[in-house]
Amino acid sequence: MVFEEYEKPAACWAGIDSYKGQERKCLTIILRSGGCTWGSCLMCGYTHVRYGNRDPAFLDRKIRAQISWIKREFNLDDYSLVKIFTSGSFLDPQEVPPDTQQEVIRAFRGKVVILETRPEYVEEERVSILRETADTGMEEIPLYLAMGLETTHDFIREKSIRKGLTTSDFIGGAERAHRAGAGVKTYLLMKPPFLTEQEAIQDMITSAQEAWRWSDLISLNLCTVQSSTPVEWLWRNGAYRPPYLWSVLSVLSALDRPISCDPVGGGTPRGPHNCGACDPELVDGIRTYSLTGDHSLIDALLQVKCGCKEEWRYVLENEMSYSLPLTR
Amino acid sequence: MSVVDIRKRDGLARTGFFAYRGEKKAFPNALDMLEAFPSLRERALSHVPLAVDPEFVRTWHRRGEEEPFSLHPLTVSDIPHGSCVMVPGWHTALANPSAYVDWLVALKEQVPPDTLWYAPAAALPGTAAILLYSGFDLFDFTGTDLKSAQNLFCTSEGIFPGEWLEKGLCGCEGCQEGDLRLHNRKALQQELALGSQFIAGGNLRELVEARCRMDAHQVAILRNLDTRFGFLEPRSPIVRSIPFLANSGDALSRVEVKRFAERVITRYRPPAADVALLLPCSARKPYSLSRSHRKFHAVVGRRAHELMITSPLGLVPRELEHLYPAAHYDVPVTGYWDREELHWVSSVLAEYLRRHSYRRIIAHLEGGALTAAEMAAEQCGVPLECTCTGPTGSKESLEALDRALKGERRVPETALIRGILSWQFDVEIDLRGMRLRSRGPEIYVMQDKEQLFSLSPDTGLFTPTFAGWRLLGEGYRVQIDRFIPKGDILAPGVVSADDRIREGDEVFVTGEGVRATGRAAMGAAEMLSSARGVAVRVRKVLKG
Repeated sequence: MVFEEYEKPAACWAGIDSYKGQERKCLTIILRSGGCTWGSCLMCGYTHVRYGNRDPAFLDRKIRAQISWIKREFNLDDYSLVKIFTSGSFLDPQEVPPDTQQEVIRAFRGKVVILETRPEYVEEERVSILRETADTGMEEIPLYLAMGLETTHDFIREKSIRKGLTTSDFIGGAERAHRAGAGVKTYLLMKPPFLTEQEAIQDMITSAQEAWRWSDLISLNLCTVQSSTPVEWLWRNGAYRPPYLWSVLSVLSALDRPISCDPVGGGTPRGPHNCGACDPELVDGIRTYSLTGDHSLIDALLQVKCGCKEEWRYVLENEMSYSLPLTR
Repeated sequence: MSVVDIRKRDGLARTGFFAYRGEKKAFPNALDMLEAFPSLRERALSHVPLAVDPEFVRTWHRRGEEEPFSLHPLTVSDIPHGSCVMVPGWHTALANPSAYVDWLVALKEQVPPDTLWYAPAAALPGTAAILLYSGFDLFDFTGTDLKSAQNLFCTSEGIFPGEWLEKGLCGCEGCQEGDLRLHNRKALQQELALGSQFIAGGNLRELVEARCRMDAHQVAILRNLDTRFGFLEPRSPIVRSIPFLANSGDALSRVEVKRFAERVITRYRPPAADVALLLPCSARKPYSLSRSHRKFHAVVGRRAHELMITSPLGLVPRELEHLYPAAHYDVPVTGYWDREELHWVSSVLAEYLRRHSYRRIIAHLEGGALTAAEMAAEQCGVPLECTCTGPTGSKESLEALDRALKGERRVPETALIRGILSWQFDVEIDLRGMRLRSRGPEIYVMQDKEQLFSLSPDTGLFTPTFAGWRLLGEGYRVQIDRFIPKGDILAPGVVSADDRIREGDEVFVTGEGVRATGRAAMGAAEMLSSARGVAVRVRKVLKG
C-alpha cells in the first residue's frame, strides 16, 4: 500500500539566522520522537513532547510522516539552513531509529543541517554516514551537531542543570564529530537555578571563552521558566529568577568573538527580563546582534537608561548564594 | 567561635549580647554581616533553596566550616552551642506563610537554643517585628539597601514610593538630608530597637499583632504559628507581670490563653461545693478589686463556687484570678460577643462542667456571657438558674442572687490553696491544718506556725518554702550536678528537669547534699540543651 502519511511536527517555523557572518533563511523543525532518554534536566519542559511508543517501526513511520508534512507545507528550496530538534537527541537510536535519521537528512541534502543531540550518541562512523548523506559539495560543512555543553563548570552542570554529563564527555563528542567531518555547535545555558546573577554572568563568560576550543558555532540560551518543571516550582516559590537582560548584555559585551543568542520569552516574568519598561528595546537589540555580530550595538544597549539598572547593579554586587534571588 | 549571652526571652524572641572575634555586640541587631563574618564571602555556588526536595538538600547542603553555619529545614546539621547560624533564603519564606511555619518549627527544634540566628536579606522595617517574633536575632541591610536602589521608601507599615522621603513622614537624619538609603537603614534599626524593648518588656506579641496588619502574609504566619501549640507552649513563659492586651481576634489563639484554659480543664481541682455561680468579669483585675465583684462578694458570702465567664480566657475560677493572664488581660468592651468568642468560651465552660458536677448552676450573667453559659449548659445538658432580671449589679438582680443562695453551704477559704496548687503544680494535697494569712496584697499559707507558700501578687503563682515543697511530691524539680550553688544555677549544671517546667515556674533544685528553691529562668527543654545562661534564679539554698 503506497499512500503518503502526513503528520504535523511538534513545531516548524521559518526565520532568518546568521551563519558564518551572513544571514540565511532558516527552517527550524521540532520533530516529535521517542523522547529524550535522559529527561532529567531541571528546566526542560519538553519531556512530554514525545510519542508514548518507542517501537522503531512506529517511530520510523511517524517521523517520515512529519517530514512529508514539512515538504508539503514549505518550499525547501527557499532554505539553506535547517535546524532539527527532537526535544532530545536526534542521534539517540531509541528516539529516531538509525535508518530514519538518514532518511530525514536526505530530505535536506545540500543545505547546512544542524542536528541537536547529546554527546554520548555521537559515533564517528554514524556521523560520517550522515554527513555524506547531507553533502552535495555545496557547503563546506554540510552537517553540524548541536550539543548542550551548557557550561564548562561541571559542578554547575550537575547541580543546577542535572545534565548528567561532564565537560570531558562533551569534548569527546565534539572530537568524534569533528573527526567525522561534522561541525560542532555548542549550546550554553545562562543562569540555570541556584546561581546568583553575578555567578551566572561569570559562568557564561568563562564558558564561552573556553568552549570555542571545541566549537565552530556557539549559541547562548537563556534559562526560562517552562511549565511543569522543577525550575517552575522554584520560581513559584520565589527561589528562582531568570537572568536580567542587562546581564545577558554584559556577557555578550565581554566576549571577543560574537555568539548567537535568541532571548526566547524575553521581557516576560518567565523569561529573561528587566523591569518591563526597557525590555522590548533590549530584546530586539540582542536579536539584531545575533544576526549581525555587531559588538558596538551591545555596548550601545548597555548605555540605555532605565530606572531598573540601579537595582540590577545592586543585585550584582550584593546577591549572595544565601540570599538569592533578591528580586523577582 | 562566638559566645551568645541571652538576657531576655519572650516566646521565641530573645535579646542579649554576642561576641565574635573579640567584638561584643547587642542583639537583635542589623549589621554589615560580611564585615562581621568575612567567611560569608566564601559561599559561592552554595545555594540550596528552602522549597526543594529532600534529596537535593542531602546532596548539596553544606553547613559550612565557619560561622554563621547554614541550616536547612529538611536536614539536621551538627550545630555547636553558642554559634551563629543562618537560614539561607529566609527572605523568600515570608511570602509562603504555611511553609514558613513548617520550616521554622523544623529548624528551631533541631538547633540548640543558645545560638544566634541570622536571617539573610529578610529584614525590612515592615518585617522586623515578625522576624524577631520568629526567633531571629541578626539581620543585614541587604533588604533596605535594595529598596533604596529601587527608589522605595520603607517604614514599619510597609514599602512606599521613594518620593515619600519628602513628605515629612520621618525626622531621621536620612530624611533631613534627603538620603533614602540612610533613612531605610535607620528605619530598620529603629524598628529593631523598638522590638528589643518589647522583647525585654515581654509584650512583643502585642507589637506583632499591631504590625502584621499591613501584610496578609504576616497575619497568616502569626495565625499558622498559633496553631503549633505543642511547639510554642514549652517556649512561652508561664507568667508575665505586664498587661495582656487581647485587642484582636487573634488573641483568642494565643498560647497563654489556650494553656490557661487547658490547665483549668485538666489540672485544676475545684473545692467541694454544691453550687456553681457563674459571674461576669470586670475591667479591673484581679476581679475582686472591682466595684462589681465587691458587691457580688458581699451578697454571695462564699455560699457558692464562683466562676467568671470571660473572653478570651473562657473560665476563671475565683481561686485563679490572680494568675497570669487572668489578672493581666485587657479586652475591648463593646457588649458584642462574636461567634468565635461565644464558641470558645462556651466550649471551655461545657468541658469544665462535664468534668465537675454541681447540684445547682446559677448564672448571674447578662448579654454575651449569659449566651455563652446557656450554650454550654445546653451542650452538656445541665439546667441553669438565672438570677438577673436586669444588669448584674442592680439591686433586684443582687437580691435575687441572695435569695437563690439562701441556706447554701459555704466554700472554705482554703479552696484558694487547692486551686492554685493544682493549676500550678498539677497536685492535690491535704489541706488539713492550713490557713491563710494576708498582709496587704500578700497572701501566705501557714500550717501550725510554719509558712508553706506565699502568693506572688504580680503573677498569682505560689512560691513554696522548703516546707511547702515537701508537700508537693516529685514534680517541678531540677536536678543539678555535684556542686553547691553559689548564686544562680547555670544551664550546664542541670542534669535533669521536669519537662513541665516553663520559664517563670517555681522549681525545687536537688543535688548531692543540697536543696534549693528558685524560679526557672528558662523552660526545661532549654535548660537541658543549653551550654550557657541562667537556668534557675535561686531563692534559698539548704545544705545537708
